[in-house]
Amino acid sequence: MPLVIKDEYPEKLFREDGKRLDGRDKLELRPIKMEVGVLNNADGSAYLEWGNNKIFAAVYGPREVHPHHLAKPDRGILRVFYRMTTFSVFERKRPAPGRREKEISMIIADCLEPVLFLELYPGTSFEVFIEVIDADGGTRCASTTVAALALADAGIPMKSLVTSLAIGKIDGELVVDLSGIEDKAGEADLPCAITWYNDQLSLLQFDGDMTLEEMNLSLDLAKNALKEIYEKQLNALKSKYIAIQEETLKQQENSTSGGEE
Amino acid sequence: MMNIKRVISSIERKYIADNLKKEERNDGRGLWDYREYNINANTIESAEGSADVTLGDTRIITGLKYEVGTPFPDLPNEGVCTVMAELLPLASPLFERGPPNEQSIELARVVDRGIRHADCVQTEKLCIREKEAVYILFIDMYVINHGGNLIDCGGVSALTTLISSHVPEGKLNDNDQLEWTGNYLNGKVIVNELPLVLTYGKIDDVIFLDPNLSEELVSDGRISISVTEEKVTSIQKSGAATFSMDEVKMLANKSMEIGKKLRKDLDLWQYLFEK
Amino acid sequence: MEEEQEVEDFEEEGEVTREIVVPGETLTEDVKNFYPGRGAIFNKEKTKIISLSIGLKQVRKNYMNVIPLRGFYTPRAGDKILGVVIDKNPVKYKLDINAKDLGMLKPKNTITRDKRSMGRGGRGGGRGRPGDRNSSNELSTARFNIGDVLIVKVLSADRLNSPELTTVGKYLGKKMGGSVISIGPQSIPRVIGRSGSMIKLLKNLTNCTIFVTQNGRIWIKGESIETERLLIEAINKIANEAHTVGLTDRIQEFLETELKKRGLK
Repeated sequence: MPLVIKDEYPEKLFREDGKRLDGRDKLELRPIKMEVGVLNNADGSAYLEWGNNKIFAAVYGPREVHPHHLAKPDRGILRVFYRMTTFSVFERKRPAPGRREKEISMIIADCLEPVLFLELYPGTSFEVFIEVIDADGGTRCASTTVAALALADAGIPMKSLVTSLAIGKIDGELVVDLSGIEDKAGEADLPCAITWYNDQLSLLQFDGDMTLEEMNLSLDLAKNALKEIYEKQLNALKSKYIAIQEETLKQQENSTSGGEE
Repeated sequence: MMNIKRVISSIERKYIADNLKKEERNDGRGLWDYREYNINANTIESAEGSADVTLGDTRIITGLKYEVGTPFPDLPNEGVCTVMAELLPLASPLFERGPPNEQSIELARVVDRGIRHADCVQTEKLCIREKEAVYILFIDMYVINHGGNLIDCGGVSALTTLISSHVPEGKLNDNDQLEWTGNYLNGKVIVNELPLVLTYGKIDDVIFLDPNLSEELVSDGRISISVTEEKVTSIQKSGAATFSMDEVKMLANKSMEIGKKLRKDLDLWQYLFEK
Repeated sequence: MEEEQEVEDFEEEGEVTREIVVPGETLTEDVKNFYPGRGAIFNKEKTKIISLSIGLKQVRKNYMNVIPLRGFYTPRAGDKILGVVIDKNPVKYKLDINAKDLGMLKPKNTITRDKRSMGRGGRGGGRGRPGDRNSSNELSTARFNIGDVLIVKVLSADRLNSPELTTVGKYLGKKMGGSVISIGPQSIPRVIGRSGSMIKLLKNLTNCTIFVTQNGRIWIKGESIETERLLIEAINKIANEAHTVGLTDRIQEFLETELKKRGLK
């Protein structure tokens, strides 16, 4: 017997004042916070909060392939394991990974692989573990974005970062960054990701009802929003080191030492 | 110390064992000192209660979800509380992905027993209609980082999750349908006792509280003791080491004493959800 | 006995800009005058040089390099590294060397060839005369046990096979006592310092024996647990601030202050 207290899909996805239900404009992103190096046992790690999404990513590699028969003699393999905790969603999710998680794992792996140099690491594996501890729409995009940070944090050579975002259509209007309720109740959902070294899409899915014009426009809207998110990724990677540099410069000014190493 | 992620050397073992004999530990603590606990409660929007707890480098995030279902036949007017644990590969290269193994099952069961035998959860308050509808609470613990001593961290994480809970209160209406009253059952209703579990490691006859990761990897065995303000509620010894009866009595006493102080310091009722 | 490490010059000529760069970031668009060096490549259209990882931009002559701030160890022949024996069978030892593969150590590469050194026990290495072999040790794996810490040299390493190791050589062999710490292999040059300046500083101020190896592991042995602990803190501080200027002076100040504060020496 379900105890239904969360609403069925709302009638309208825009408020009287023209804003979306969470107060955003059509092209506005939800608040995003990112941090790298949060888990000290993994080779690389990152954490991201994107709206109500909360996601950890950890990378191990290069390391031996288990089970051994999956190893490739001429290149390394990349495996992604996207998982959600039981309490990350409104109705408790069964602990074991389901088909959706397995599909998303594959899509994220296909999305990240183009920026890696797998041919330099034959017979090894790179594994990305993603754990969604709180979900609210766009988790595959947020997961891709945080996974790219974890790979960089592991010191694995990359052609560039990867950034991901979902564009959608709600109540006939194109919007950027669908929240959970907009994803469920809206008309179309277009998650995509860009690899910056060649400015091309490495993740692309589409579900719903859009005209060709709307689709073209969506891709344009995506590009700009993705740049905004990319800036945040850059900041997350650099800020720790820059903060230490600034701190030590301050210490230097306060002490008498001459300052060259 | 060597950044132990999976391999322990004999130098490491000797270093830890020799220094324990002098009552010194590799992180500077005394034999009976805890590392620092850090708690954030109700951080997960989708859950009806949650706690993000770190103990030193160990971090466990726990969430509470509920369902309404039929009770066990032998306990027709009591709700159910079940504890699960997953050791995520994110937490350590020592954790393999896949279904729960012995280690995660032990973690879940030790934490569960510490809570259950303290009569911590008021399962009678979780009854909506006898024999037909009760709450089933799922306490799911996810180990996010392994820094040693998952049990104590898990215990605090599970307990804080219960205290932080806000389960929608349901009543059966005239058509026998479940309706939300608009209120919540919170920690004050659900939680009755504050059991804490304290885990000790043993290396070469020296016993110490709250093993960190390198100590744990080198330990001959360990013992976990759950206590309330009044009594010991459960004990679990694991690993190949043996403990003398005097040692066990000493540890039970010590656990009551340290437990009282820890309970006061943590002040877990501050994480109560009040609307 | 003073043990000197062979040190490589971490920075020769070449200006390290202290600018932090990330994968894919442009180092320069002047592709006429610059080439991609270590840690950098041309982009697809060859219109710019970009970084491959998170690191410090370094311009050396007309090469754009990136000194990585995060990384993992890849064994190369000639590297001196610290391994832990995690497995052995009658024909070889397997060592964890903090790399994707385990290192292989065959008994023939552990043999002391010098009769005189057989009395010293414990340590491999030494000058030798061919033909002086301890026949009982020759082809067995009795010398070392699981858990032993060995400083070894990489004899050969390539992408496909497990690296081959040896304990025969100066300062190589089993280490007893002391502590082992692990920092990222990319921070090791900083612990050595320009012309060994940093490691000399650490040794002089703490009076500890220090072995720095290429796979990011460091073996230390001091007079007391407190001195060792202080040295470990200093090394972690170096690793944390490896990308800053004035580090050697700051470490000197840190050590002098703490030695006094903690009443050591």
